[in-house]
Amino acid sequence: MASRHRQGGEALSITVANVTKRFGTFTALDDASLEISAGRLVALLGPSGSGKTTLLRIIAGLEFADSGSIRFDGQDISDRAVGERRVGFVFQHYALFRHMTVFENVAFGLRVRPRGQRPTRQQIRDRVGDLLDLIQLRSQAGRYPSQLSGGQRQRVALARALAVEPRVLLLDEPFGALDAKVRLELRRWLRQLHDDVGVTSVFVTHDQEEALEVADQVAVMNQGRIVQVGTPDEVYDHPASSFVYNFLGNVNLFHGRIDNGTAHIHQDATGDLIFARPHALEITRRPQGPNHFRATTKHINAAGPLVKVEVITEWGAPVHVEMPQERFRDLALNKGEEVFIVPRDLAVFAATHEDLSFERCVT
Amino acid sequence: MAFRRRSIIPGFGLTFGFTVLYLCLIVLIPLSATVFETSKLGWHQFWHIVTAPRAVASYELSFGASLAGALINFIFGILVAWVLVRYAFPARRILDSLVDLPFALPTAVAGIALTTIYAQNGWLGRPLASLGVHVAFTRLGIVVALTFIGLPFVVRTVQPILQDLDRELEEAAASLGAGRWQTFARVLFPAILPAALTGVALAFARGVGEYGSVIFIAGNMPMRTEITPLLIVTKLEQFDYAGATAIAVVMLVVSFVLLLGINLLQKWSSAPSG
Repeated sequence: MASRHRQGGEALSITVANVTKRFGTFTALDDASLEISAGRLVALLGPSGSGKTTLLRIIAGLEFADSGSIRFDGQDISDRAVGERRVGFVFQHYALFRHMTVFENVAFGLRVRPRGQRPTRQQIRDRVGDLLDLIQLRSQAGRYPSQLSGGQRQRVALARALAVEPRVLLLDEPFGALDAKVRLELRRWLRQLHDDVGVTSVFVTHDQEEALEVADQVAVMNQGRIVQVGTPDEVYDHPASSFVYNFLGNVNLFHGRIDNGTAHIHQDATGDLIFARPHALEITRRPQGPNHFRATTKHINAAGPLVKVEVITEWGAPVHVEMPQERFRDLALNKGEEVFIVPRDLAVFAATHEDLSFERCVT
Repeated sequence: MAFRRRSIIPGFGLTFGFTVLYLCLIVLIPLSATVFETSKLGWHQFWHIVTAPRAVASYELSFGASLAGALINFIFGILVAWVLVRYAFPARRILDSLVDLPFALPTAVAGIALTTIYAQNGWLGRPLASLGVHVAFTRLGIVVALTFIGLPFVVRTVQPILQDLDRELEEAAASLGAGRWQTFARVLFPAILPAALTGVALAFARGVGEYGSVIFIAGNMPMRTEITPLLIVTKLEQFDYAGATAIAVVMLVVSFVLLLGINLLQKWSSAPSG
């Protein structure tokens, strides 16, 4: 099955070179450069307004850059129209043709080919049938988009994009409009599909979990710039800036000063930025070692694999802590109790060097 | 299925009763009066009147010219709506409000204006006459008048649909390799077709009933340029009330059947999206 859909070594690399795009006075992309190797699944991750969708649309040819270039396998295609680039584009709201059945939607790209290149009826039927098998919707071939669920529509949109054997697959917030459970299933399915089909793929998301779970490579974007590119491990463990660290997961922010690898937390908002992930803070009943501070428990949410506790520090700041259920049971915590917080892992960004120096303090 | 279901919207009984009464008073009773008046004639007499060559010629003209006008508006109404929605240009708003003019203008004014322009010595009539095309006082003139008064219907029904069409649909079609024409024919046109057909139905219905603007430009020659509403008026002026209503009944039935047909067509063309 899988081999039938493989794009037969056609996977190609994408180069985004110094692309700038303005809409009026708003700079959507500011000198963005990105190298995507053949056959990779890459996530463009960033908050809304960071330029990620604009970049995707420029790669697709739905939008054109003011300056800079897009290259496929080294070939400059900046001036080519979307129809000539052979890209598959999956829209956030699917953009399915409402008056066509699932079958006709998927077949569309084959039917509109110039007469000489158009497959025969039988070939179209076979190809669409294969794709419907791939998205597990063959039984729904005769239905209309309005009769399908959100997840099914998204899969039809994907099959429609794949039908034209694209050299690049581009997905704009592919799971943005779906509910949590379907989202989770579909992103695993997308990962599997990418491994089967092997086409170079780029997807846009604002959900860091989605990017880290699905992608081979994550490009983090902020204010029209690409601020970091790396594997999910790299960007998570070695964030290039406080923005990336902050964006990639829940954090507690402290201010303070670093002295010989020891963080001194200030009680006012001055000094370096010190971050701690909720799971890197430990709650103890008794003070342990020299590094700890006093706090009072405020909220406890024990639903789920991790227990989430919100505490108020002795200087009045809220801090979030996560711990496994077992640890929570051992502690037998209650609301309003006085406890000690021991930081296990802190990330420090020196305020003076504009986020450039990052060091890790393990106490 | 119960006729009345529990609902949080109050007043169903009262408003339903009023709606039925109102429709009876305004629509059904006058219409049934025509049928009643006609029934004074015997079947044979009725048949004789409604199949008289002069009457048949007027039906052909009325329905034919209305259909022609509606179909012209189908094509050019979509075009006008397209231009008004898709392009920003100076004076777009003025052009947009110009579309409603045939609605607002007293039909007699439209008739006189069209006749003046298309008459043998009119602005358009003279050059056209030198080409051998005669508009005023011919069937072509009737089509022109019915096209004029039907224009707003198609434009105004298609315009909101075009406005709401998702740009992403066109982008999706383009990304799949469709050319501009293919995108229009396969993606956009099917989306606006149901609305356009509604517009055509309205323009057609208006055309069949149109009197004021047509009688000036038509010339009103029996058998050639006499529309059915005029024939009815002529019969009334001769105090032939039964004959007038007999022809009115034919108009009523044909209009009803055609509207039903167009509604079915519309249902068929919009069914897939439901």
